Amino acid sequence: MNWVGLQMLRNDRAKFAAMIVAVSLAVFLMQNQAAILATMLSMTAAQIRDVQDADLWVTEPEVECFDQVKAMRDIHLLRVRGIAGIAWAAPLLKIDAIGHSEGGRLNTVTVLGIDDASLAGLPHQMRVGRADAIRELNTAIIDPGGHELFFPGEPFQEGRSLRIRDRRIRIMGISDIAAPFTGLPMLHTSRSTAAALNLGEQHMTSFILARSAPGNRPEALCQKINTLGGLRARTTEQFASDAMWFYGSQGVPMLFMITITIGLIVGAAITGQTFLMFIKENARPISMLKVVGTTDRQLGTMILLQGTVVLVLGSCFGSGIAAAVCNVIRTQPFLRSLYLPWEIALGTCLALASVTGIALYASYRHVRGLEPAAVFR
Amino acid sequence: MTPLDSSAVHCTGIRKHFGEDDARVEVLRGVDYTVRRGELSFLVGPSGCGKTTLISVIAGLLETSSGEVSLFGNHLARMPHSDRVLFRRSHLGFVFQQYNLLQALTAAENAAIPLLAAGVRRREAVDRAAALLDRLGLGSRTAAYPRQLSGGQQQRVALARALVHEPRLIICDEPTAALDHATGEAVMELLASAAVHPDRAVLVVTHDSRVFRFADVIAHMDDGQITHVEPGRRTDAATHLGSSRLTNPSA
Repeated sequence: MNWVGLQMLRNDRAKFAAMIVAVSLAVFLMQNQAAILATMLSMTAAQIRDVQDADLWVTEPEVECFDQVKAMRDIHLLRVRGIAGIAWAAPLLKIDAIGHSEGGRLNTVTVLGIDDASLAGLPHQMRVGRADAIRELNTAIIDPGGHELFFPGEPFQEGRSLRIRDRRIRIMGISDIAAPFTGLPMLHTSRSTAAALNLGEQHMTSFILARSAPGNRPEALCQKINTLGGLRARTTEQFASDAMWFYGSQGVPMLFMITITIGLIVGAAITGQTFLMFIKENARPISMLKVVGTTDRQLGTMILLQGTVVLVLGSCFGSGIAAAVCNVIRTQPFLRSLYLPWEIALGTCLALASVTGIALYASYRHVRGLEPAAVFR
Repeated sequence: MTPLDSSAVHCTGIRKHFGEDDARVEVLRGVDYTVRRGELSFLVGPSGCGKTTLISVIAGLLETSSGEVSLFGNHLARMPHSDRVLFRRSHLGFVFQQYNLLQALTAAENAAIPLLAAGVRRREAVDRAAALLDRLGLGSRTAAYPRQLSGGQQQRVALARALVHEPRLIICDEPTAALDHATGEAVMELLASAAVHPDRAVLVVTHDSRVFRFADVIAHMDDGQITHVEPGRRTDAATHLGSSRLTNPSA
């Protein structure tokens, strides 16, 4: 009888198509918005996670995320290095400044000054060029979004420069780091070069990157550093999660959740109502099936199968569209970090299935309540 | 064989009402009615006299207010609902006034529905239904959809659906009402030739007096009661004539 149910569904092409379109659009909307939200939150922690050679971040106690910079006294670096179990510790300087390209383009840039000696925090993946070229004074590597912003549509040419605070910084390569939450071009340079751009400031350390020695738990080392006073140490994941929580509590996720909820409600409502209409319009054939001895259980299975087919097809189309749109958007340099986690894809489909399940149950109750004798009238 | 043993349908004192108090309507007022095996029995009467309610009660689709219905010695009212559904699936076939074919299915697939409901594999069910349609003169139309068939052809598909699982009682509700006279006669001839069997009863509800000649027994009903029962005029000659005419697919 399941086959009969599928044929009935296929035969009513208008409603079948309407239900699949409704599910597809709802799934697309939910996945798209959820993916943007997830990407935005992950971007708030992208620069923290990009630093793979350190497993500890030490900051001033008030700092909640990578974009909050409070300069640290240089003595703190020595205090951290003095902790037993710390393999090494290196300063990282972060400054924001205005950059001008040769072509007259102007934009605020984030400059990260990497420790000259250890190069701790240098990007490991490069699109073009070598990362360690920044050892030379007044050189830097730029992220893909920054290159596109300052040199739109142009191929990379080593040695082209940006003017930052009256210094000419030569670009030696394009890094392959995650897109930053701020959307600002990201320049990695040596701490010496960055310090020269930061004239007038007394302290040249924004973060201290550290590595735990083998046999030492990073969490335990964080506790040790925190007991020193005046410092806040976190593991990479703790700092990343604090950053995401900080931005997540600013209200933006609520706006996305509203859109996702609307997608869920509208999608489920249209699908559910159309399905219920489909069942009601087929009341006479279904009554006939009851008369000839089709059990309520068989009819229930039939409805479940019809609903499942609609949801699976709609979810596949919707997820496919969401993934395709995601891939198109990712081609934009500043949106290159957009991704659609499988958990979001699965979760949105299951959420829609749960809500639509109510409509399927209502349809089943309607079918159970159908008076088979009505087929004689 | 006692009269009860030979009966396919045995109704005793059937009463049925709808609504309560001021809205109460007595539709069946103590119906005693018997249909014997091997009979083509007509239940006739004016519209609203209770014919459809009575066949709904006989088929176990409606509960009686009082009285008993026995089908081949089985008391439907005493069966659990699920058993009643399974009994209906195995032992009853139905032909409706409006055919009630599923537009999504071909003629053979429509005719196979009772077998599919009984769990027979699709291929086997459709093959059996197609073979039956062939015997009913629709061998060339098994793959046609209802919208591609004439009214008479659709009713023949409905008849195949009623016969395919070899039920012991076939209930037909106004099978000729939606057909013109010639087509109606053809369908009745087919019913008389294909459905009547010594161990099967056929109960036809109709008010189409032009087909009365196909009946073995005619029960007249009025105002919720069987008023009188008279023998019909079905002859073997008529049946034979019918079989030969009915194999014309254009009917």
